[in-house]
Amino acid sequence: MIEVENLSRSYGSRKALDSISFQVPSGSVTGFLGPNGAGKTTTLRVLTSWLLPDPGTEKVMVCGVDLLREPRLACRKVGALLEQLPLPGELRVCEFLHSRARLKGISGSQISAEIQRVLEDVDAVDASRRGIGTLSQGYRQRIGLADALLGDPPVLLLDEPTRGLDPRQVALFRELVDRLRHQHTIILSSHVLGEVEQICDRVCMISAGKICLDEDRAAWTRRLEISGTTRVEVVDGSDDVAVGLATLAGVSEVVTDGSGWILQGDRDLRRSIGELARQKEWVLSELSTDPATLESLFLQLTHPGGES
Amino acid sequence: MRVASLARRELLTLFVSPVAWTITFVFLLVMGMTFHLSLLSVGGDLQQLVPAIYSGYVFWFMMLIFPPLISMRTLAEERRTGSLEMLVTTGIADATVITAKWISTWIFFMFLWLCMLPMWLLLDGVGQVDFGVLLSAHLGIALVGAGFCAAGILASCLTSHPLASAGLAMAINLVLFLVEWLRFLYEPGDLQLRWIEHFSAVHHIGAEMTRGIVDLRVPIWWVSFTILVLFIATKVLERRRW
Repeated sequence: MIEVENLSRSYGSRKALDSISFQVPSGSVTGFLGPNGAGKTTTLRVLTSWLLPDPGTEKVMVCGVDLLREPRLACRKVGALLEQLPLPGELRVCEFLHSRARLKGISGSQISAEIQRVLEDVDAVDASRRGIGTLSQGYRQRIGLADALLGDPPVLLLDEPTRGLDPRQVALFRELVDRLRHQHTIILSSHVLGEVEQICDRVCMISAGKICLDEDRAAWTRRLEISGTTRVEVVDGSDDVAVGLATLAGVSEVVTDGSGWILQGDRDLRRSIGELARQKEWVLSELSTDPATLESLFLQLTHPGGES
Repeated sequence: MRVASLARRELLTLFVSPVAWTITFVFLLVMGMTFHLSLLSVGGDLQQLVPAIYSGYVFWFMMLIFPPLISMRTLAEERRTGSLEMLVTTGIADATVITAKWISTWIFFMFLWLCMLPMWLLLDGVGQVDFGVLLSAHLGIALVGAGFCAAGILASCLTSHPLASAGLAMAINLVLFLVEWLRFLYEPGDLQLRWIEHFSAVHHIGAEMTRGIVDLRVPIWWVSFTILVLFIATKVLERRRW
């Protein structure tokens, strides 16, 4: 469980995070979305204790540990796969993981077993003796993830984990995260909205240092449904149909596409359209909804004048 | 334990790359030639050989150049590539990072001087080498080298460009080297300025330790200087979090 309350962080006079608050429940996969420079990486850097929050930040708790008071203890609860993955190309995978395990305080007698475990978790046992400099991007990401898993931290922070991967590697990586979701609380920072839509239980959108959306899957799916459009086709429909539809509560716009009408509204309009059709004795030949996508929601919420 | 683990990793990374071996090759080439020429210049008087090698211009050139060259990548490069962030996310303390980096730099620096041991052993086979004086000279190199390596680590904390780091470290070391010259601005033998000797690397090694003299104040000064510089480096590293 991660709890953040009024977290701020500035770089000089520029506020990268402006009193953001959010919660990540245990065992969930939370997608962290936002345009470049919105504050995603800064938030993750605070959670790994690489950066200190500004004074005035009320609470940053990682698995019950107060990061503001005990940053080093808190960051041992976190395994991070950084966006920039600076692996030492001159070392072998096992040498690299061995040194990382020692730095993470894993006792000498358990290191070999732990390395074996994490390499199995990420399906990279065969790369154990290979030089890191010779690995493909997909394998490098897996080794980065194996490093994050060393010591079995309860929280995993994955910053742009599929950047630079081909579609097949992306699919494999997605499977990997899917397997890990049962043992870890995961924050996945990504620009690939489809990926977030498929993997995450929760979405947290950040724009210009402020949280503009923090919802679980059920809530954001509902939001997408009601933010979508509804298409109505009436047999022998006339202009009166458009006038009638425009009077419905929640309808903001009615346009025709030639054979029917498309309604933009702030709720699910199907029931009220059905009732109106019954009253007016219209014969509906189509009544369908076209839900909004996460991408359209992202664009709506993160554009400079968007809702917050 | 974490200091030892990180220092070991640093040395491993250094020695599996060609950098360490290139530095070692250049060092041995220059010091081997210096050894040979010094042996010729002292005319077989082995008592004079240690001061001749360990207080000459080539020796000081090596002392001023090599610690910055070894230490320039330690933090500057890590910060540039982002691997410092990866390191710190293990929950390791900044003081541990600085100490481990300094230890690995210093060990490699001393390894270079240790590589000259076969030359001395070979010479001992044909003459009488005073190993006491040799040990005293190397104690001086270890102490001054500790300070110079610490200056290199501090410089590496201050910039993310390795070459700028090396230049800055050389400048700091040069000040410690040139402090002796302040005395020459005045009359030689002016006792009022003798206190400068206490801070002079040249005096500590050239006038004392290469002649077998070990004054307790010398280790105290260099150990204190090293700790102070490493403390400042830790504070500089911590500053990046603010």
